[in-house]
Amino acid sequence: MNRLNQLPTLRINPSEKLTLSYQGKTFQGVAGDTVATALFAGGVRIFARSLKYHRPRGLYSLDGECSNTCMDVNGVPNVRTENTLLKNGMTIKAQNVVGSANLDWLAFIDKLDWMMPAGFYYKTMHKPAALWPMAMKRIRKAAGLGVISADYQMMGNYDECYLKAEVTVIGGGAAGMSAALAAAESGQRVVLLESRPFLGGCYDYRMTTGADGQPLYQRARELAAKVEQTPNIRVFKHASAVGSYTNNLITAFQVGGPDDVFTERYVEIRSESVIVATGCIERPLIFDNNERPGVMQVGCAHRLARTYGLLPGNEAVFSIGHDLGLEAAVDLFDLGLKINCIADAREDGQNPELLLALAERKIPLLKGWVATEAHGGKSVEKVTLATLDGGINRHFACDLLVASAGLTPVTGPFILAGAKMSFDNHTGYFLPTELPEKMFPAGRLTGVNDPAAIEASGRLAGLQAASAAGAELDAVVADAQSDLAALPGPERGCKLVTAPVKGRKSFICFDEDTTIKNINQAIKQGFDVPELIKRFTSAGTGPGQGGIPGHNLPLYVAKCTASTNTPIPTTTRPPMVPTFIATYAGYNHHMFKRTPMHHDQIDDGGIFRNIGVWQRARYFSEDFDCKEEILNVRNNVGMLDGSTLGKFRIHGPDALKALQRVYVSDMSKVKPGRIKYSAMCNDDGCVIDDGVVVKLGENDYYFTTSTGRAGQTVEWFRYHTRFDGWDFNMVNLTDAMGVINLSGPNARKVLGKVVDIDLSNEAFPFSGYQEFLIQNTIFVRAMRLGFVGELSYELHVPASYMKAVWDMLKEAGAEFGIRNFGVEAQNVLRMEKCHIILGQESEQRTNLLDVGLGFLWDRKKAEAKTVGAVALRQAEKDPDRLKLVGIRMEDDNRPARDGALIVDNRVRGYVATMRKSFTTGQAVGMALVESQLADIGTRLEIYEDECNGVRLYARVVKMPFYDPKGERMKS
Amino acid sequence: MSQIKRESPVHFGVSPKASAVRDNWTVALEYDDEGRGPWIVDLAYKIRWDLQDSNIGELAPCDLAVPAAPGQSVLSDGILINRMNRTQVSIWHLGADTPPLPEETGYTDTSESTVLISLFGPKVFQLAEKLSNLDFMDPAKAAPFLLQGPFCHVPCQIVTLQKAADGSGGFLLACSRGYGDSMVHAILEAGAEFGLRPAGESCGEGQGHPHKAIKSL
Repeated sequence: MNRLNQLPTLRINPSEKLTLSYQGKTFQGVAGDTVATALFAGGVRIFARSLKYHRPRGLYSLDGECSNTCMDVNGVPNVRTENTLLKNGMTIKAQNVVGSANLDWLAFIDKLDWMMPAGFYYKTMHKPAALWPMAMKRIRKAAGLGVISADYQMMGNYDECYLKAEVTVIGGGAAGMSAALAAAESGQRVVLLESRPFLGGCYDYRMTTGADGQPLYQRARELAAKVEQTPNIRVFKHASAVGSYTNNLITAFQVGGPDDVFTERYVEIRSESVIVATGCIERPLIFDNNERPGVMQVGCAHRLARTYGLLPGNEAVFSIGHDLGLEAAVDLFDLGLKINCIADAREDGQNPELLLALAERKIPLLKGWVATEAHGGKSVEKVTLATLDGGINRHFACDLLVASAGLTPVTGPFILAGAKMSFDNHTGYFLPTELPEKMFPAGRLTGVNDPAAIEASGRLAGLQAASAAGAELDAVVADAQSDLAALPGPERGCKLVTAPVKGRKSFICFDEDTTIKNINQAIKQGFDVPELIKRFTSAGTGPGQGGIPGHNLPLYVAKCTASTNTPIPTTTRPPMVPTFIATYAGYNHHMFKRTPMHHDQIDDGGIFRNIGVWQRARYFSEDFDCKEEILNVRNNVGMLDGSTLGKFRIHGPDALKALQRVYVSDMSKVKPGRIKYSAMCNDDGCVIDDGVVVKLGENDYYFTTSTGRAGQTVEWFRYHTRFDGWDFNMVNLTDAMGVINLSGPNARKVLGKVVDIDLSNEAFPFSGYQEFLIQNTIFVRAMRLGFVGELSYELHVPASYMKAVWDMLKEAGAEFGIRNFGVEAQNVLRMEKCHIILGQESEQRTNLLDVGLGFLWDRKKAEAKTVGAVALRQAEKDPDRLKLVGIRMEDDNRPARDGALIVDNRVRGYVATMRKSFTTGQAVGMALVESQLADIGTRLEIYEDECNGVRLYARVVKMPFYDPKGERMKS
Repeated sequence: MSQIKRESPVHFGVSPKASAVRDNWTVALEYDDEGRGPWIVDLAYKIRWDLQDSNIGELAPCDLAVPAAPGQSVLSDGILINRMNRTQVSIWHLGADTPPLPEETGYTDTSESTVLISLFGPKVFQLAEKLSNLDFMDPAKAAPFLLQGPFCHVPCQIVTLQKAADGSGGFLLACSRGYGDSMVHAILEAGAEFGLRPAGESCGEGQGHPHKAIKSL
């Protein structure tokens, strides 16, 4: 197909050739083409088959308002090829066809439309019930859009950005650009979003001149140059707004160009003010076969020629309801299109200059006429025109029917932002009656069509938006209002919805193959609200997001139901324009915290797992039972990186009061040089955290929390003291201090080689706390703890020195065979000692008493109003609570899994942790069971997932399983 | 015994061309091919303090008045004081000195708690808006000012030091030290399209860009 290569309005570069493959052939396009226009240039007229009836579909809107040109592009189905810029080497496939788009073996379904009335999916083939699953499979196989492979991996880079602006303008047409320029005059930050790859909107392809004699396309380019040269306007082209939310949060996505590093980019703008200058789309004219290839909207035909250099046909008939149709006819005629007739649904009101231009070109115009049927199999061959009452018919041969009932504004951003919409009788538009705060309309969507008025309305909106965002522009706004008032106002719009047809093949929604007949069927079945009819018939629920039926459906329903209520548009939901889920996903940064020893532990063979926000070394070999790690701690010495532990300083005059409030113990008994182990409960007495507290000075304490609770601890203190007005301060030192847990019978010997303090049991006993310097440089807080049941030192060192201290201990311990142990080994070691981990031996409902920590609770500090104390007093009288017990399997070689249920004829508890203990040779663990099952010796029946009815058995035994007197950790 | 050395949580994956040892830190002075900006600089070795007091507005840490309202910062003689809330400020010593921690109980040395990095140069705020929805260029605020919120989904303290309408300028970012690796990786990835490069402390001396504000303090 020859291009009109010399047109000044072109957005293609004919000298840069690009190719694509489709149906085994290579097609040639040029830079600037969309996939659809390149195929059109190559002679393709049928791009897809429709959802239900497999009717042929072709170019219609050129803006992706329907699924007519949805195709599989490079393995991605449902790509709107009208909006997708051509890239060299693309592979295109037709979808939802058996055969090809041109010859689809399922096209016969079109004849079976009588079998598929409105709502058939809900009503037929449901009885007998067994029939529906089979029918559903067949229907789904025959109907639908593209199919994506479950293994498909999305290619490309998906970017995201979060902008702040005083003014955001949605729409880069003349009004939008004027608005942006006006808003930018005040120096505010302005963001301009344009869904096409270039600015210009409806000016971009039009030769019509404005009042100053300048062609509109030139004016558009002039405005675009100004906008792009204005430093405080950020222009996002090929960026469609997809959401509009309260407080003027605008979301959009931008398609990346050849020079961009992203495939698509999610854009989120928090804006003070928003201008909606989205213009209008064409309102489809409904007549028989109104979606036959060869039928297209005015803008589609006009832009094909002016933007892409492609004449849309050879011989055309127009059926329009707006002056844009007449303007396009004149222009396309001048470019070489033969026009046999124009049917204008309006009896009067046409622009006299356009009428004169038509007469000069001898193009016949029938006023008050409309197309009633497009004839032809796979493309238009003939058109029937009729008077609006259908009384008189005439037939015209053609291969192109340019059809449009008029215009409808793109008001999605208003609707999403909560604007109240109403039908305007003068323009025939659905317009907002109450605008959301700091949102302003501009341009053609207000009904104006005069170029000067379009720009003036944009300027006014820009100034109003800037003013709303804080600029002092009252006088300028008043002037702009006067200027706009002096220009032509909103024009009277055509309100015709359907030609005089019965509607069996008159489609109100192309995406879902919904006809006027279907709407009538729904109304006859009692549906009288457009929202319900939309759902019952599925009109407007396809990929076009209601672009085609969005305006016509409520008007048609109002007409058919003789409703006296003002019609309102059906709902709009984000995304207003479909895009990839990958675009919403954006970056895939894995944000995890790592300890200072992370990389060293990798070097030492650490196998990491994500634990909350941290990555921790869980194992140090492929033996996930960790036998060697465990036995090395029991018999020798090991090192654990415990840096993830929560660490806090609390200080200030009321620090002790705050500790008394949240800890169950009497914290006034914390002695210098000693650690105090205690726990925190919530108001229900359920234990939420435990840790140790040391006293640094008067009303100055250092305490630890579990890893998982560290992020919430400050809030927890503040929340539970919020009414007291206490003066205390907290500092989260979790990341500041690395923690080394040095454990095992040789721990003292190893530490002794590194530090200069007396480590004897008398000088530094169990539960002792000391501060010292290593090599007079590294400050260390050291605690004698025994979580794993051995002689242990917990060394808190500045994070930047963690590696240095770790390496010193490693070097010092080499002669003893010191080695790392990970979180899993620690888990087994402490389980053997029956030291609990909250979250492992407890859950949401487990209180302090259930897990055997009641000894921590000081009942005498009533004045502290300890969190959870009231609930604990009640709970200690409750005999029906779960109780933590030690259990041993009858088969020591078969430990139950963590979380396995303890049952009889109902659930009686669950296994919290269980492992094969290499220290004792027994399969032991802890379980929470009903108190009736807690007696020593009680036989427990255990149910595991996928046990196939085979139960496991265990008995309640004494705790702990290892070193019951604690001699090893206290020695 | 092993040599005592302090480790930064930031790993750029390249070794500095020139470095110096200060207080057991290895401070990168310069990297090969630092490019034309934007730049990222590891300032983990800078001293940071936390100061809390119910009457904080009446205190004068380092002889500087505490900013009156949360979100405000004051920068003088290499000391940056950021008012975080009603009772708390963060104090960052950006100069060469490492002063001792005052003995008053309200002070806590939090240098080890956070990773501190500087991002500056052309288009640095366009880079930032890929990772955060905070308003680094708020026209209602004069630099320096403090922002507290998510950067790459991680809670951060961020101080805009300088801003220009074209998206150039500079800011300091502090987040939990544990996030250092992830944060730097995310920033370098997001900044690749702008030519973001690791830079040493000496970067930008005499060029009049924001890092000079940090370096000269």
